[in-house]
Amino acid sequence: MDNEQVLPDEPGDKSLSRAWQESLSHLKSVYRDEAETIVADARYGFISGLMHDVLKKPAIERLMLSDKIDRVVLNRWLGIPLFLAILYGVFQFTFVLSGPFMDWIDEGFGWLAGPAAGISPAWFGSLIADGIIGGVGAVLVFVPVIFLLFIALSILEDSGYLARAAFVMDRLMHRIGLHGRSFVPMMLGFGCNVPAIMATRTIENPKDRLVTILVNPMMSCGARLPVYVLFAAAFFTAYQGLVVFSMYAMGIVLAILLAWLFRKRLVRGESGHFVMELPPYRLPTITGVVIHMWERGRVFLIRAGTIIFSIVVLVWLLNYVGALEPIGRAIAPIFSSAGFGQWQAAVTLIFGILAKEVVVGTFGVLFTGVEELGGLGSVIGFELGWTPLIAFAFMAMSLIYVPCMAVIAIVKRETNSWRWTGFVIGYTLVLGWIVATLIYQIGRLFT
Amino acid sequence: MAKEITVALAGNPNSGKTTVFNNLTKARQHVGNWPGVTVEKKVGSCSHDGYNISVVDLPGVYSLTAYSLDEVIARDFIVDEKPDVVVDIVDASNLERNLYLAVQLLEMGVKLIIALNMMDMAESRKYQIDVKEMSRLIGVPVVPLVANRNKGTSELLQTMVDVAEGKVEVLGLRLDYGREVERELAKLEQIINGNPLARRYSPRWLAIKLLEEDEEIIKKFKEVKGGQRTSATR
Repeated sequence: MDNEQVLPDEPGDKSLSRAWQESLSHLKSVYRDEAETIVADARYGFISGLMHDVLKKPAIERLMLSDKIDRVVLNRWLGIPLFLAILYGVFQFTFVLSGPFMDWIDEGFGWLAGPAAGISPAWFGSLIADGIIGGVGAVLVFVPVIFLLFIALSILEDSGYLARAAFVMDRLMHRIGLHGRSFVPMMLGFGCNVPAIMATRTIENPKDRLVTILVNPMMSCGARLPVYVLFAAAFFTAYQGLVVFSMYAMGIVLAILLAWLFRKRLVRGESGHFVMELPPYRLPTITGVVIHMWERGRVFLIRAGTIIFSIVVLVWLLNYVGALEPIGRAIAPIFSSAGFGQWQAAVTLIFGILAKEVVVGTFGVLFTGVEELGGLGSVIGFELGWTPLIAFAFMAMSLIYVPCMAVIAIVKRETNSWRWTGFVIGYTLVLGWIVATLIYQIGRLFT
Repeated sequence: MAKEITVALAGNPNSGKTTVFNNLTKARQHVGNWPGVTVEKKVGSCSHDGYNISVVDLPGVYSLTAYSLDEVIARDFIVDEKPDVVVDIVDASNLERNLYLAVQLLEMGVKLIIALNMMDMAESRKYQIDVKEMSRLIGVPVVPLVANRNKGTSELLQTMVDVAEGKVEVLGLRLDYGREVERELAKLEQIINGNPLARRYSPRWLAIKLLEEDEEIIKKFKEVKGGQRTSATR
């Protein structure tokens, strides 16, 4: 094409020509197709979604491959089970593949921690070995899981399946008086709730948007994944994938139930009507998947080196001067009804509000002297006397209770209301306690 | 004195657009040429509910790209003459393909009415179309027609008047092109906002057209560049 440099180069929009070329080549590298085709696909996707809503044809006429796949994927009865099965498959894939990588990183840190602990003066050795390697290392071990999960999510998104999942959920949500456009931002929450809450801007109806923001913290983000994996690996060896999947599923179910409840009690009014786009299926390109994985995943590396690092050093300092235990002991009794009424667990939950990975990082700092971080979960279980049931209740608590600071800030910005922000903090805290307590108390009847 | 409105008829070839045009305007038609080209331009008129309605029959097109002369004529008329109402004649028995044009008209932000023609054909093929739901989802009025039996014509006329008067709201819709494309559109839109072209066209539409590498729009951006230069040297 000879379109290079044909656009105006005037003051005020001199960057248009460059931005345009960048956009074209970016889209081309992500989709391996011209932007023109992508735009046309989006139009057909809209029409295809509209047709599912307004046109009933005699069965014989549907012939296209994409239609054939959709007949199964969007099937009234198969759609949701299939979505759950695919999600479950994603977690299995993530675990099987990430295992060896995690072991390597783990051994690497274990190898570093030994000599580091011997550094003098002793406080500095402890800072390096227990604080930084123990705390940040405990989080970094889980980077392979996070990245593999994001690869899987990117493949689902780029292939066009995620749009189908939203379509299927839309039908369910319509039945309980919501609309499914909300489900797209909710699924983005699997990566991180912050961009997911920003994505609610595509929802035009202000009430639908508010409810979607309020329940979004229930969608389990990548930062909570290390908490699940830590305990799933230690307590549920053979069923790790299933247990982590159950956390994500619990989040989805809670989000839908809460949305329904809020819409009934708090934010009443008519729901908006939307066509759910059904873009044609396409084979994901490696470049596209890698770009999307990196976009979602790099945040975690940056966080590990900045926020997590600082908080973990703070936790180490407070622990070193003996200030952590009194704080923990003051709070811990609240959680005894859920089985994890030990001061260490309370401390991790407090600092977890700053960033959810810190729950794992704080455990790493507290249970020092652990040679290999991979054994951290078992050590916690042994030291605190946890059963699988308590670990499960604790995972549920980590999922539900107060979202991290970044999410609280974005809820404030997007709702522009301290009242709603306070409401999110309040309901998540109470709900987390209730669910964890229920799991522990009911579970105890059977064990 | 009767009030005047201009209505443009758009639609795919073979959507029955000419029949609709004849139903609306009867014998009050005249044929000319589109400015600068030898493509036939048909304009007719009719009156309804105290309105003089001038009806322009746009060339039959499947799309509004810059690939064919017909498409450019149709698009330019809508963009430059800004008709009060655009009626898209849609073949109800071939809904999916016909709606592609409607989506593009919606992108342009026109006051659109969708006329679902050949409803009898659709029925004979046992298609069930939920007209109300369709209207609600797209955000524009949808009027069912059987043009070759002159059914639905007066409903269409009434809807035109209602839309022109603002009695019937045309909400339209903002199509979501997906995360990646939307992000690029937002970037481009922001830059285009500062361009003089943004005064005549919606920046979002211009951004979409740039992603489609639309020759006509690229040319317009070039012309603006030239125009600005001369004003700067003055």
